[in-house]
Amino acid sequence: MRLPATQAAVLRAASAEEYREVDEIADEVGEKPETVTGAAFALEEAGLLSIREESEETASLTEEGEAYVEAGLPERRLYDAAIEAGADDSSVPMGEVIGRSGLEGAEVNIALSNLARKGLGEIDSGALTATRDVGEDAEAAALSALASGESVEDRETLDALARRDLVERTERSVRSVKLTDEGVTALMEGLEERDTVGQITADLLTSGEWREVEFSPYNVEAEAAEVPAGRKHVLRRTADRVKDVLTGMGFREMEGPHADADFWINDCLFMPQDHPARTHWDRFSLEEPERIDELPEELLNRVESAHREGVGPDGEGYHSPWSEGMAREIALRGHTTSLSMRYLSGHAVGELEPPQRYFSVEKVYRNDTLDPTHLLEFFQIEGWVMAEELSVRDLMGTFTEFYESFGITDIQFKPHYNPYTEPSFELFGHHPETGELIEIGNSGMFRPEVLEPLGVECDVMAWGLALERLAMLITGAEDIRDLHGTLVDIEFLRNAEVIY
Amino acid sequence: MPVVDIDTDELRALAGTEKDDEELKADLFGLGLEYEGETEAGELQFEFAPDRLDRLSVEGVARSLRYHYGLDRGVSVPRTNSADWVLEVEESVPDERPYVTGAVVRGVSLDDRALDSLIQLQEKLHATMGRGRAKGAIGVHDLAMLKGRSVTEGNRPTIRYRGVEPDGETFVPLDSDAELTPGEVLTEHPTGREYADIVEGYERMPAIYDEIGLFSFPPVINGRRTEVTTDTRELLVEMTGTDQWTIDRMLTIVCYALSSRGATIEEVTVRYPDRELTRPDLETESKTVAHDRIERVLGIGMEAEEVIDCFERAGLDARVSELSSEELIDYEVEIPPYRVDVLHPIDLVDDVGRAYGFGDLEPRYPDVGTVGGRHERSRLEDAVRETLVGMGFEDLLNFHLTSEAATFERMGIEPGSDTVGGGQPARIREPYSEEYEIVRTWALPSLLTVLSNNTHRSYPQELSEIGLVMERAEGTETGLAERRHVAGVLARTDASYEDARARLQGLSRAFGVELETPATEHPSFVDGRCAAVVIDGREVGVVGEIHPRVLVACDLELPVAAFEFDLGSLS
Repeated sequence: MRLPATQAAVLRAASAEEYREVDEIADEVGEKPETVTGAAFALEEAGLLSIREESEETASLTEEGEAYVEAGLPERRLYDAAIEAGADDSSVPMGEVIGRSGLEGAEVNIALSNLARKGLGEIDSGALTATRDVGEDAEAAALSALASGESVEDRETLDALARRDLVERTERSVRSVKLTDEGVTALMEGLEERDTVGQITADLLTSGEWREVEFSPYNVEAEAAEVPAGRKHVLRRTADRVKDVLTGMGFREMEGPHADADFWINDCLFMPQDHPARTHWDRFSLEEPERIDELPEELLNRVESAHREGVGPDGEGYHSPWSEGMAREIALRGHTTSLSMRYLSGHAVGELEPPQRYFSVEKVYRNDTLDPTHLLEFFQIEGWVMAEELSVRDLMGTFTEFYESFGITDIQFKPHYNPYTEPSFELFGHHPETGELIEIGNSGMFRPEVLEPLGVECDVMAWGLALERLAMLITGAEDIRDLHGTLVDIEFLRNAEVIY
Repeated sequence: MPVVDIDTDELRALAGTEKDDEELKADLFGLGLEYEGETEAGELQFEFAPDRLDRLSVEGVARSLRYHYGLDRGVSVPRTNSADWVLEVEESVPDERPYVTGAVVRGVSLDDRALDSLIQLQEKLHATMGRGRAKGAIGVHDLAMLKGRSVTEGNRPTIRYRGVEPDGETFVPLDSDAELTPGEVLTEHPTGREYADIVEGYERMPAIYDEIGLFSFPPVINGRRTEVTTDTRELLVEMTGTDQWTIDRMLTIVCYALSSRGATIEEVTVRYPDRELTRPDLETESKTVAHDRIERVLGIGMEAEEVIDCFERAGLDARVSELSSEELIDYEVEIPPYRVDVLHPIDLVDDVGRAYGFGDLEPRYPDVGTVGGRHERSRLEDAVRETLVGMGFEDLLNFHLTSEAATFERMGIEPGSDTVGGGQPARIREPYSEEYEIVRTWALPSLLTVLSNNTHRSYPQELSEIGLVMERAEGTETGLAERRHVAGVLARTDASYEDARARLQGLSRAFGVELETPATEHPSFVDGRCAAVVIDGREVGVVGEIHPRVLVACDLELPVAAFEFDLGSLS
């Protein structure tokens, strides 16, 4: 019979009388155990060998176990100290015994609980009485045996040590092989060896020698070494998805300053200057630079007038103070609606004629308390549609379409209030995994007090949503801080599932 | 968002319904009040958007429910009796807080719940419309404890709003036994300390007097003499503030709430030196809404009767305007005075939508064609990011807010120095934490922080980030130059300058630009192993081996090669 060299060697090394372990045969034939295993399976397939699998248990010391081999088990140390203190004659106060034993911290509790369990002594009213002549400690003996590489057969002691986390037990399967009758026959008839090669080389290919050789089989099931690979940040990936969906729906991307005049961030949005969200506590206003000089004068006047008097014959402004100084203050934007204002006013890319769709997925800043669901800076998805005539039905249709792309169907529109939109809706959807009803966005039709000063004469609907919230829905992350910022665990990024 | 605490038994009684708590919760959600939880006293808490401030107490919520259930329709205004009391404003009133308003309420019966509800309404109005009492503050007094008759003023009882020297008068404030001056209240009384900053810098303190003396120190605290208890049968409600409209409307909401419990509202004459007002002002207002606008916003066709029905179910009165034609219908809508949220006819359209039921509208995709596309900067950023990832970099996303210590000190550079990262930063005003005091001027400090937080993870660690940096710059719109920087760090036992330059070369080749790296010095890098990044002849960044001084400061125990440059240079 013609066999590859390894298989031939394994067949020769196998016995017809008894099962021999793969490791033993590997030693004998000078091959790796996995190579021998591979060969053995091939031989079993050919009916020449039979393979037996048994599991074998080995016990090894944990770090704590090793420490006790050196220092002794805490309860024995306590016991020894007790004997030294004469506690076998009469009880000795615990404090004294512990002091003498040199035990510290968690070891004390370990010692006390095991002392009682092993019957080494008794504790009563804070004093310890030691049992006389307790003999050798089976657990200590087992630990030293394992430390010197011997095996321990006493199951009960091993179980006790495992419960104490001093010993770790691992199971491994041991394969043994034995010749079948056919194998014996094949051996008797004589084996012929074929050449096997490991690596495919240039030489092998050009010489044509590859036609003659047998390729030694690998263990194709074994884990391979990790390939260090870069990965796009999971939140960036989510942002990419959002951008893809929105550009597909006809939206163009906006761009603009992160630090901007309060005018663009709030005043244009018809946010009264004494609105609670405009106090120091909620926003990041800048000390340097402090003010913007450049603001479109006419727009500034129209916005001021909208705040003071409202727009239209039946309009009313806010009964709140308004100062140009506050409008000129510079702050980190609390929403990217500042970009929408710059675009809608014609300041960013010139006058826009309807229809238009614009979006951005960019950072915003809120002076909030950091916790698992709140960051000081996060990404906001912002989008708006401008057309001659838009209704709340168009708004609902647009967002239904958008969220369906992320597996969020049957969204609910809860009537809401924003200073800058009317009607306004909070959007709720069911989490695709948990089924929980969660807020997924805020939306509405821009008010006349927003649009008229901007010079927009048609309808504009808009909405906003935190990207992190969407990412948490998609990735199942529970703490936003895992995703974003310098506290990130590289391992988390390395293991994060790719989003597409 | 404001939260209202509701005793559901009270709500059922006031709203005239026998629904159970669960049904009430569902009905309230429909009105925009979201169930939040329970108070210790077993009241249900509902959160709502801060437009309908008339719902800050159980009385207002009950009124909304009555409209919702169809038990009430259209506008209702409480009847008022004409004024007996005068609230006189004297010349000495502090300039900062010149306005006052008030009402007398008779025939109140305040059990514990009603009293609690009144106190709650007062506090919630302070927090919202009153802007923490700064814009408007409410004082409610037991009228029986006030002495207003004065021989010189004829027969009408009068109380006076005036300004007093901080230590020019004493009274016994609530929750105290001691006679204190207003100045002492601000430093010694807990409530005084809480609201002291509102009157900080006032030359004279606001004070309200009757014939006996000072009984209220708005917006800080009332006197103990006029404290309202469950035995109180008649009230004086006064409000002071910085805006007449605001306090008048706060007063309206309080009057509606008390009136719905059966009390009678009596007017007060507010006499300023130059004019006289009669308060509370319960006049309705009127606005014109076009039928077209309603149809356009809701996206459906409606009959006039249907629209009017919706208005009435929203607690408004509406009639077709005389100026309407067959094609163009307008509605004259009458708005009750507690509706502080109606600034424009569009708000009335929203009311129609809510009454109609926004949930009953069928979504439709707008029939409007536009062409989508990404911004060029964002496409470039993405392409560079893909290229970096292809080189094996882990793409990072760090905060833009950071500390001066991490950005400058730890890196060995000074703000305002002529070096990469050395620009003057944008500084946050009064930051809560040193961790977030500036916007970063460069990105490498963030990457080094990530390395420093991950020393327990396996190496090599090759990290990159394309992110925002900004620095002060003359001649820009905001006084800041905002840029995206490309930064990378290679942390491995054999990291060297060459590794970093190799990555830069790869990027330059990929984006078709010419890279040069003339030697330079930068305090964050090792001298002789540091170069300027020059792309197409323009100096745009720095590359080199991070200085051991910086590595040690970051708790790193291996070499790090790094680069940082302006993303725009690759375009």
